[in-house]
Amino acid sequence: MCGVAGFLSFDSDPGDFAVRIADMLARIRHRGPDASGAMACDHGAIGVARLSIVDVANGDQPMSDSSGRYWIAYNGEVYNHVELRRELEDKGCAFRTRCDTEVVLQAWLTWGPDCLARLNGGFAFAIMDIATGALVLARDRFGKRPLFYARFGDRLLFASEMKAFLAFPDFAFRQDPEQLAAILAQWTPLPTQTGFEGVESLPLGGCLEIRSADWRVRSVARLPFDAPPAVDEASAKAQIRSALRRSVELRLRSDVEVGVYLSGGLDSAIIARLVTDITGAPPKTFSISFEDAGLDESPAQREMAAALGAEHHTVKIAARDVAADFSVAIEHAEIPAFRCAFAPMYRLAALTRAHGVKVTLSGEGADEAFLGYDLFKETLLRTHWAEQDDATRKARLASLYPHLDHYGADDLAPLMALYQQFSVERLPGLFSHELRFQNGRFAARLIRGAKEPFAAILQETAQDGDFAAVGPTQKAQWLEYRTLLPGYLLSTQGERMSLAHGVENRCPFLDPEVIAAACASNLRFDDGFTEKRLLRLAFADSLPESIVNRRKFPYRAPDAAAFQAGRPDWLELVLSDAELQKLPFLDARFASALAARALTRPVAEISTKEDQTFVFLLSIVLLHRAFVMRRLAPAPRAPTRLRDLRSAPLHSQGNFVVVT
Amino acid sequence: MTDADFRQKLRGFIEERFLVTFDADFPEDSDLFREGVMDSFGYIQLHRFIESEFGIAFTESELAKGVLVSLTQFQDYVGRRLDLQTDAHTIPRA
Repeated sequence: MCGVAGFLSFDSDPGDFAVRIADMLARIRHRGPDASGAMACDHGAIGVARLSIVDVANGDQPMSDSSGRYWIAYNGEVYNHVELRRELEDKGCAFRTRCDTEVVLQAWLTWGPDCLARLNGGFAFAIMDIATGALVLARDRFGKRPLFYARFGDRLLFASEMKAFLAFPDFAFRQDPEQLAAILAQWTPLPTQTGFEGVESLPLGGCLEIRSADWRVRSVARLPFDAPPAVDEASAKAQIRSALRRSVELRLRSDVEVGVYLSGGLDSAIIARLVTDITGAPPKTFSISFEDAGLDESPAQREMAAALGAEHHTVKIAARDVAADFSVAIEHAEIPAFRCAFAPMYRLAALTRAHGVKVTLSGEGADEAFLGYDLFKETLLRTHWAEQDDATRKARLASLYPHLDHYGADDLAPLMALYQQFSVERLPGLFSHELRFQNGRFAARLIRGAKEPFAAILQETAQDGDFAAVGPTQKAQWLEYRTLLPGYLLSTQGERMSLAHGVENRCPFLDPEVIAAACASNLRFDDGFTEKRLLRLAFADSLPESIVNRRKFPYRAPDAAAFQAGRPDWLELVLSDAELQKLPFLDARFASALAARALTRPVAEISTKEDQTFVFLLSIVLLHRAFVMRRLAPAPRAPTRLRDLRSAPLHSQGNFVVVT
Repeated sequence: MTDADFRQKLRGFIEERFLVTFDADFPEDSDLFREGVMDSFGYIQLHRFIESEFGIAFTESELAKGVLVSLTQFQDYVGRRLDLQTDAHTIPRA
């Protein structure tokens, strides 16, 4: 795991290339503290902050092919690199290292953009042709690894994290009210949205090819939902077991120790069990517990760790800890967040690294693949509303969101009326998410005069052929795979927090074979109202019964309550009218009333949408301070080993210099 | 309770709970769902308020006719129900 950065220059003097790339890498050094390497040529520069995991001794980057013409800066892991290497060797490719970086470079040179669908893993890379100045940027299909780019004068900048662009003193971040309204309403950005004007995120499974003035972004590796159905329940369970086992085996390919994040739920328990079975020894496990018993899952975590005999480590989080970490965590996240649950992950990563573990596995992606979220049940309920009698409707409504106060037995009558209304599609294609998005409209009120916040997502879904072809539940999956998963779970709550401390997280449920196994069995052997039923049954014999039968417990952290418990100085940014005026796109009156309410009302009286909107507001003002006002903590330049190919003849290896 | 009283109570509840001010830009007949003021939680809160404040229980058959979406609609509904309740008390049982 690493961070990549670089730029292509269309018409500028290469004199400052070395210091610029070194400064960009300094901004993302937390992602790869083991080494910083770069290459500068007459067309630009690329570089890598490296966290060494595979072929620790020989994996220095950027790396070139044997001709010295093509150079790669690569972030991530391709787990099937061993198989791809064999395939490429059969085609005549010769390899100098056993590092997956070289496999990815050769795969691109051999298959071009089609290689992306063959790469199983989480990755982002840049490949520069120093003969022509052509540049390719590419990213994995799940959005496991980030890659942002922006046009800046006569340069194209790219990096794993946007903060690297601050290495250019004149680069100006501007928050984009239209994108912010979309993020607020959807809970998360679309895969290309960042919240900043002119800064884009590469699409999932997409690549951007730049040859002088010709820019082409295309989506190459799609997410398949069309697996052949399993013939019966027994074979469905066997397929799930074998796909997951294989996926975990692939993700254990590492030259360093692999740990497991244990949430207390089913998914990470399955992963930890499989790691133990495959390696013959339990992994170190890491968990978050909360002082607030209503959020805490530590009994289930301890039970699972004990069942494995694992060395288990826990970081206990109090509400005030969330408030204390929020500003540094959101600066790592870079994107406005709708809940505080990402902040404890920042401490969890620190704990993990302190115990010498650089790679972890976790259960992300299981709920999307195996229909684990209540949202899928809600979609099924509303889709079939007209066909059900009142008794069935009530029973299912009552079981839908038991952790939400307003889904209790006393409120079923008005809820029935509400669901009746939402049993008919209003936003074309977005039926599954309409109740959630209704809630999001409240947050969008933070943006003054916001236009229709769903314009971009409506356009994206209307243009996608795969989306049009599937039914309501798969549309819901499609939306989850493109919004909440990449836009928050894998990024803000996932790799941005783990890589703040140089820890790489891997997700065995985000594997094409695992998703195919889920597609083969979802809704074929049950009605979908017992979440992840077949996944539970597939591992029922190898997990404690209480874990197998445990209902999904949404991972949450204190939101507004955190800022009532601990009041950081920077809260002034939302409490002072003068500070709010610095963000003229905000509805200051609404923001002010919301902040006052969130910080003074009894926590029980603060609704979920108010919590969400308040956390969004805090994120936006902090990101404004860090990026627009450039108040991010300074990043001292780290020694960067630079291969200097400026004015060097092609095929030469240039000179090595160390930029300090 | 006068007509103006309960209308003001409803308006005050929505303004306080949903952080909104009714005025020329945001008239009382605005669709509270469409404008992002009310979600499912707010909708249930408002029903609970009407039940506790005015003693009005919503029946399933009434609710099945359609969801009320604006302050005006809620005010008119409560007005009708209060009139009905008054009538019910004044009509002697047979």
